[in-house]
Amino acid sequence: MRPAVGIAVVAMTLLTASPRDLSAQDSQFGIRGLGTPGRWESVRARSSGGAFAPFDALSPLMEAPLADISTLTATAAGGTSHRDAQLGDTITQLRATRFPLMGVAGRVAPRLVVAGGFTTYLDRSWDVTLRDSTVLRGELERYRDEITSDGSVGDIRLAAASRLSRRLAIGAGIHILAGSTRMTAERRFDDSTFHAVGQVAEVRYDGFGVSGSVLIGVAPGLTIAGWARADNRLRAQVGDSTVALTDLPRMAGAGLLLAPSPRVRFAGSAAWRSWSNAGPGAFDTWSWSAGAEFGSGRMPIRLGVRGGQLPFGPGTKAPTEFAASAGTGRAFAQGRALIDLGVERLERRGGILTERVWTVLVGLTVRP
Amino acid sequence: MTRRRLALVGAVLLAAACVERLTAPGHCPDFCPSGQITVVDTLLTTSINRDSAYRGYVVSYQSPVMLAAFLPDTTGTLDGRPIFRFNGFGPRLPISSVDTGQILGADSARLQLYIVRRDTATHNLRLQFYRLPTTIDTTTTFDAVAAPFTNAPVRTVNVDTLLAQPGGKDTVTGDSVVVDAVNHRWLLSLKFDTAAARYVGTDSGAVAYGIRVAADTLASIAFGKGSVGPVLQWYLRVDSLGMPVARKPGILGTTLANFVFTPPTAPLDSTLAVGGVPSARSLLRVAFPKFIRDSSQIIRGTLFLVPAVAARGAPADSFVMEARTVLADFGRKSPIDARLDDPIVIHPGAMDTIKIEVTNMLQLWAADTTHPTVFLLRPQAEAQYFGEIHFYPSKAALRPTLQITYVKQFPFGVP
Repeated sequence: MRPAVGIAVVAMTLLTASPRDLSAQDSQFGIRGLGTPGRWESVRARSSGGAFAPFDALSPLMEAPLADISTLTATAAGGTSHRDAQLGDTITQLRATRFPLMGVAGRVAPRLVVAGGFTTYLDRSWDVTLRDSTVLRGELERYRDEITSDGSVGDIRLAAASRLSRRLAIGAGIHILAGSTRMTAERRFDDSTFHAVGQVAEVRYDGFGVSGSVLIGVAPGLTIAGWARADNRLRAQVGDSTVALTDLPRMAGAGLLLAPSPRVRFAGSAAWRSWSNAGPGAFDTWSWSAGAEFGSGRMPIRLGVRGGQLPFGPGTKAPTEFAASAGTGRAFAQGRALIDLGVERLERRGGILTERVWTVLVGLTVRP
Repeated sequence: MTRRRLALVGAVLLAAACVERLTAPGHCPDFCPSGQITVVDTLLTTSINRDSAYRGYVVSYQSPVMLAAFLPDTTGTLDGRPIFRFNGFGPRLPISSVDTGQILGADSARLQLYIVRRDTATHNLRLQFYRLPTTIDTTTTFDAVAAPFTNAPVRTVNVDTLLAQPGGKDTVTGDSVVVDAVNHRWLLSLKFDTAAARYVGTDSGAVAYGIRVAADTLASIAFGKGSVGPVLQWYLRVDSLGMPVARKPGILGTTLANFVFTPPTAPLDSTLAVGGVPSARSLLRVAFPKFIRDSSQIIRGTLFLVPAVAARGAPADSFVMEARTVLADFGRKSPIDARLDDPIVIHPGAMDTIKIEVTNMLQLWAADTTHPTVFLLRPQAEAQYFGEIHFYPSKAALRPTLQITYVKQFPFGVP
């Protein structure tokens, strides 16, 4: 079997194979809150812990790296997560397959590159069942609730970047937040005298944000990056009624790239997000990452770790997460097509909940 | 080869876009949505008003059964008597294809009739047959035929004794009984001799009978009508050139099948009556709260009715009362909405508060705001039981009430 075909078959197998009892669900830390924030990273960046995201033109975290794109480039990513959610002694296996990233970028002038695309801003897919009882008409009535949400808030980005000099590139972008979730709430009583309840609603979301970034070549092989972003608020509407207006965070981050040789690259980054704007139960978060990439552009090896906090969770402390990842890539057709593969092991902790996640990632980049 | 590779990549991405979904147990409140399903239970004590009762929907001769009962009580005796009539063949009967002969009389006759409802606790059930005037009709009252019922019965049959006979046949009297275990009814075949089955040709041969029942206890049964109604087979003697010859003409069905009873049904008063003969119905108009109708989901509704007096009727004859709604509120002529009904069994003598689950109807009213919010109470089998119940009306202290359990709108979209 040719290596390319083998990689594709393995990737497809990893994405589609799953135990029967798994289910689609994002982090349970996002159920009581706005959702689970998406990761604005390409498969290449995420395979190295996200450390290379500030320097990766195909990651929608920053705009400035777009300045180095020379030809029209399109990218997309997909990932399957196998999640063990442990609540006390109960472990539930969950599964989610997502298509969280798509973008296209191209040079429109000698010093100007523009890009458009979407990524996941907040994932809001979950399905919760609850067994409980209540006193009705003087009797204890047992029931089973099932509340589901299926959908997400997407971040549609229009960005532009320019390399002002050999050492300096800048970029800016506007972000239109849009999406919807189909929500259901059902209750079934054990006593069939009480009829089952089923309510359904389509919740639409919208918001707006702006971002800016800068990339500075400090010295040969050493680059630093900085970025900032501000989103206004997330409006939730059911029908014609606005049911919620939630302030969104401001955020900023920085990164460092060290390339001692063309075959060895190291990077690190950190970011801060003011999620506590979103209201009670939300926390400001810090996140960090460090990673390395070894080898040529033909088939590099990527490694990385990341850690930080989650914006929504119970109690007075933000849940934490830590992940280690690895990956590789393969170029085809004289470098016009790239497949990136990655795998990530993630652990999240908060209150009595611990999530352990395996995620398999596949990215495709095309330069026609 | 490049195309092949790209196709493979496309397949990978397509596979990645597929999502499987199951559920996860929630741990509330930490890992549950902030919004919860909120259930509210409310008792509407003044929402039922402008109620009324009407009688006369189904009268005794329209009933598919003939009721027979003899139930002494401290307040009086409930006495129900089936009455039925067969028309005859007139004074002459064909004796050949061209000739007729004078009917000289009857050697005998065989009367078949079905008992379609009985109390299994009834013992020593006896039927007494009386010959009645052939002038009985649908307007005949209990008092109008009281005199013929004081005459000696033309036949008396002990059904329990007959059932005890081998094969249900009494070889002496010629009577028999067949137990239809599938349809839960008894077919009685009774032989009437010349005296009991007197054929009066000058009176067109019509004959009418009445039945009284008696038993050790709980004498209350129902006879069938129509396809399971009484039939009569005459065995006649016909004159043929001065010689009497036997003739067996065709079987006759009834031209009238009715029942009379005492005490007569009391006129309607201020209470809400349901049941009885002629059958009574009651209408209850509901002021359905808008806050429930417009923005909630009803999961249970119960109508509470307090009997004003103990339900009347034969002790064994519990009857089913059903609550329905109407398509339009035209008072006593309101057309019934046949889609939904909520039944409940009424036990004669009971004074317990009646609770009827009316969830389906309330949900219908919530879904269709043009639908009249009216409950109609009626017996499920009208005029087929003596049972009747009276409830306190909306102007009484123990008025009808409605308990509704509903769910408020879920706070979708609220983080």
